Amino acid sequence: MRLASTIRSVRYTFADVREVMAKANAPKSGDVLAGIAARDAVERVAARAVLAHLTLAEIRNNPAVPYELDELTRMFEHDLSDAAYQAVKHLTVGQFREWLLEETTDWAKIRSISPGLTPEMAAAVCKLMSNMDLMTVAAKCRVVVRANNTLGLPGRLSSRVQPNHPTDDVHAILYSMREGLSYGCGDAVIGVNPATDTAESTAEILTAIDAVLKKNQIPTQHCVLSHVTVQMRALELGCPMDLMFQSLSGSEGGNRAFGISVALMDEAYDQMKRMGTAAGPNFMYFETGQGSALSSAAHHGADQLTLEARCYGFARRYDPFLVNTVVGFIGPEYLEDGPQITRAGLEDHFMGKLLGLPMGCDACFTYHASMSQDELECLKVLLGAAGCSYLMSLPVGDDIMLNYQSTSYHDIPSVRRLLGKRATPEFDAWLAERGILDGAVPGPRFGDPSVVVPA
Amino acid sequence: MSRTRQLVDALRAQLGARAPMPPPEPPPRIPDPPVRVFPKRHEGTPYAREAAKHTTALLGIGHVGTRYATEVVLQFQAELAVAHGAVAAELPEGFARDNGLLSLKSRVTHHREFLLRPDLGRRLDTESLERLKHEAKRGVDVQPILADGLSATACMQSGVALLNAFKAACERRGLTVGTPVCARYARVWLEDEIGEAVQAKVSAILLGERPGLGTGDGLSAYLVYAPSIGKTDGDRNMMSNIHARGTPPEVAGDRLAVLSKAMIDQRTSGVSLNLAHLVAELGEAAARHHRAPQARVRLVEVDR
Repeated sequence: MRLASTIRSVRYTFADVREVMAKANAPKSGDVLAGIAARDAVERVAARAVLAHLTLAEIRNNPAVPYELDELTRMFEHDLSDAAYQAVKHLTVGQFREWLLEETTDWAKIRSISPGLTPEMAAAVCKLMSNMDLMTVAAKCRVVVRANNTLGLPGRLSSRVQPNHPTDDVHAILYSMREGLSYGCGDAVIGVNPATDTAESTAEILTAIDAVLKKNQIPTQHCVLSHVTVQMRALELGCPMDLMFQSLSGSEGGNRAFGISVALMDEAYDQMKRMGTAAGPNFMYFETGQGSALSSAAHHGADQLTLEARCYGFARRYDPFLVNTVVGFIGPEYLEDGPQITRAGLEDHFMGKLLGLPMGCDACFTYHASMSQDELECLKVLLGAAGCSYLMSLPVGDDIMLNYQSTSYHDIPSVRRLLGKRATPEFDAWLAERGILDGAVPGPRFGDPSVVVPA
Repeated sequence: MSRTRQLVDALRAQLGARAPMPPPEPPPRIPDPPVRVFPKRHEGTPYAREAAKHTTALLGIGHVGTRYATEVVLQFQAELAVAHGAVAAELPEGFARDNGLLSLKSRVTHHREFLLRPDLGRRLDTESLERLKHEAKRGVDVQPILADGLSATACMQSGVALLNAFKAACERRGLTVGTPVCARYARVWLEDEIGEAVQAKVSAILLGERPGLGTGDGLSAYLVYAPSIGKTDGDRNMMSNIHARGTPPEVAGDRLAVLSKAMIDQRTSGVSLNLAHLVAELGEAAARHHRAPQARVRLVEVDR
């Protein structure tokens, strides 16, 4: 395999596919931190030129983390659809990019080959795409999933209500949730990040939310985002739980740092299948984000985009109802500023969709990153235009527990109006019935939280 | 004439291109001035008042179309500016000495490097490591570490109070406490090297967390058993939102001592630490009884 290219008579050579992949990546502070980024823009293009001429078979044969060292790599190999792989293995990464962009390549075709793609292939083609390329292909992908409602249908944009509170005050959580629902938010999930990671607390929050959803007959799902082992114990306490959550990382070592493994997630999935309360068939919820493997020194010299794709490879094993990248949450050491966070959000959404996931995005920044509120609002519109399945939603976008800036209760109806999108059909009907919406426009009870009555 | 030309001409005819331009429409009637320029102030709605008894989240704020009232926008922008200010703050020279703490520093040399290079913030510089080895008590149960983290403002405001509450709570439980230290440009994992150097059973770092909107006064605590370089996040237990509106430092200090004791008793920490039998004690330490309403600080007032 030749790994060299020439630009203006300067020859660039690369030691292995991992180096090509890293240097072909769009600029990210996390790749600089790992010491694997391209020296400059010219070397980056030289790496992309080499990458464009590698075949998908060569990408498969050179995984980011060796087969012998990593259970995720082994799982990707074992779960890969050989029939689908045979259909695309001869394509170069450059040809694969063009095939994806072709007008005749629709979702049915993409979906048919998707199970034959390793995560590294999704990452490779992503590196050759501009932001608008990423949006164009992602917008073709229509991943439809179902729990208590149906997410991902054409013309739909859903949202998670994220009513977090620093001490898990259940009253506070419910006040925030009711307000969010009155703006038409919450059709993806009512999802609380708990401050206290105990089974009792998880059960208490879920039980309280469940009562309000039932009382008001709201067709959505609930979830408390504690560690998966805590949720497993909460299930045994007998609490309602529509979705089960876990953060994923892109290597075995990264997942060890999160306290999980493939075997543990298999066990969690089986338990949830027996004891979960959503109608299904999809009931798992995963969050990811570029940089998590490096933050636990488990990146094996691979770039953060490729490792992020491997999170999606892990997620798809469990046919999840929701997957989202928390793109700006990890901080400026991985994604430094507005352009990097914007790019990463569109990349992650694209890769997740290509790998067949119901991909959402927490468009966000921490207050130590160099991203402005205006840049963040633009990203929400770009994601909506790219067909993103769901965004988050909080009061004024302000997470008073996790301390970062995300999407607001007001942003969801705004993006929907701008792009002509609606909530999931079941939830949309509920919004109309309660007078929150009048057709596509705000109705008489819009923004009136008393429209949702306490249990 | 080409087919295309015919189609274009037909289209123009249909649009009235051959007819004279219609007279301009009369200007629309100027509407009466709006009765209210802004919706009601968000403190005004009963829902906002009720919610404010439980949370600082901006609830019951109303809307203009699907967007915020101007007053809300200004409040938001002011809070954003405060958060960015907290990130930019640095511990003053002499902060450790003035509070009777052993002064340490990571390998980071300046603030921007601190934001972009967490790896350097996880290790002590040579001088600090030497000072720690010579001046700190060894073989203790708990090594407390105060640090700037991502908000030197929080460290300066309530860091010392948390440190003292934690030390006292440990001693009440019969645990020996190491020489209190204060680390500049510190990341969480710096506790591994510090705890290892003094051979502590538990290393506990108390540091400023990422500032929130309009705040920057929150502290987090991370505890690890048998600290040594190479521990991961799964090996740690943590507590966040330690500030007046979340868990106050006195309550947090007590709970962290309970956690430390559990780690020493079970000889482990992180995901393998079993807290099931401590729910009562931790629940008490993490008291969730009602707190007085914490109105969000009104940051913008305009002279009129």
